[in-house]
Amino acid sequence: MNILLQIILVLFFAKVFGEFFVRIGFPSVLGEIFAGIFLGTMIFVNPDNEILKFLAELGVIFLLFTTGYKEVNLRELQGIFRQSISPTIFGVMIPFIFGFLLGTVFNFTLLESLFIGAAFCPTSIGASVRVLIDLKYISTKVGSTILSAAILDDVIAIFTLAVLTQIALYSKIAFGQILTMGGKLVTFIFIMVVLGLHVLPKLFKYIQKMHVEEAIFSGVIVVALFSAFLADELGLHAVIGAFLGGLILSTLPFAKIRDVKDKVSGFSYGIFVPIFFVFIGLSVDLDALIAAGLFTALLIILALVGKILGGFIGSKLVGFDSYDSLIFGVGMMPRAEVGVVIISIGKSMGVISSEIFSAVVLMVAISLIVTPIALKYTVGLTNRSIS
Amino acid sequence: MTEAEIGTNVKDVMTRDVVTVRENDTLQDLLELFKKYHYHSYPVVTPDGELLGTVNEDIVLQSLLIGSVPSAMFGRSITMLLGEDAKGIMDHHPITISPDTRLEDAAALMIKHSIHRMCVVVDKKLVGILSKRDIINEIYKVR
Repeated sequence: MNILLQIILVLFFAKVFGEFFVRIGFPSVLGEIFAGIFLGTMIFVNPDNEILKFLAELGVIFLLFTTGYKEVNLRELQGIFRQSISPTIFGVMIPFIFGFLLGTVFNFTLLESLFIGAAFCPTSIGASVRVLIDLKYISTKVGSTILSAAILDDVIAIFTLAVLTQIALYSKIAFGQILTMGGKLVTFIFIMVVLGLHVLPKLFKYIQKMHVEEAIFSGVIVVALFSAFLADELGLHAVIGAFLGGLILSTLPFAKIRDVKDKVSGFSYGIFVPIFFVFIGLSVDLDALIAAGLFTALLIILALVGKILGGFIGSKLVGFDSYDSLIFGVGMMPRAEVGVVIISIGKSMGVISSEIFSAVVLMVAISLIVTPIALKYTVGLTNRSIS
Repeated sequence: MTEAEIGTNVKDVMTRDVVTVRENDTLQDLLELFKKYHYHSYPVVTPDGELLGTVNEDIVLQSLLIGSVPSAMFGRSITMLLGEDAKGIMDHHPITISPDTRLEDAAALMIKHSIHRMCVVVDKKLVGILSKRDIINEIYKVR
């Protein structure tokens, strides 16, 4: 099929399916993944096309870049750290252990099991937020802890991914390699901090005075791609670089002018990010999914139960009562962007099999569908107990 | 109009008597302020005048509609939209300029990036606001 036609179909169905899911109360990402499954099975769009694959890679780079650039505020992170550290750590650790053990029990390799564990870690609160707002629960302590824990979750998951991609490159874990891995990560962070504190502020002061059109927008895109490139060159994954690139730009006023932010958002969410999620849907192997029935079912159950249990224990430890702890755990169940990114990187590195990849994508979809219903029920339980 | 004709600096044109918001002001306080004044954005300052950020009508409207209009979540982080005071919902890194900036440079920046008002600061402290209207009035005066 002509590549232009493929891109047209991908963008068109991403937005149509996305809109449908938003209208019925679910995040658009769910529609984009289903658009990919639809295009793969009904219209036979082929995910092996190199151009589409490259556009999807740009999509994942810009997804993580905009996460850092637009959504994570460094000062905000400092403020929320103390409040939600225990719920976050348990909400990450227990799902990770569940995922890792599942992989081990099903005789997957150490690396595959670690990737399954890592894909269990992040949280995407979009699906929970709407319900918490509807039920007037968002301004409670548990509501604000869910919001902050979800941000920390993603940061932890991205750094876990940094370590995993290094392990995947070296294929075994030895002391010397751990030192090299740590050295590369520290070098990368050091370069990014120097850039963020000393180079980019001066550079953007100059760029904003340039007379050529869209100089700041181009500057932001160059920083995004350069950070991804640098991370890649140092053997870290490009998306980790893109995320840190976004973080350092998030403190620069000239890089965050509303006008520029809107253009970056349009560039990312209007073109590349939907292509990435449709590509994920296209890559789902329905036959492998059906063949691995028991594994898939257990993966979904453990991913959801792991979050509930981890969130419950973590929030009990900071003094939440049992009902609020349960709400916290259920509210942390949905996975989306970062979970999909981790598992797709595992697949593109040749570490993850098609069945694990497809099972995790299905788990993401089910978590997004189940959470609002489970959360409404849990909050209802709490209200009944209070009355 | 030649360069020489608008060769003034920002400090000669800016509004010095600025309506500001305190970091702990609630959404309700902001709504009352919006009723009284008709600016699009307001600087958020500490009691000793240090500029912390800006709040504007867009973010307040998005915060008010977040539960009922799905597109109210666009372009901002959810934590920001759910903030309960000015500090929670403000934009943290507003564009600032020095009072000694040439007016034409400030105007160029505002035109290029559709910025309506800019905070003028000295040592992180807010000393004034420059709006497009201030610049237009100055040019009109010179003409």
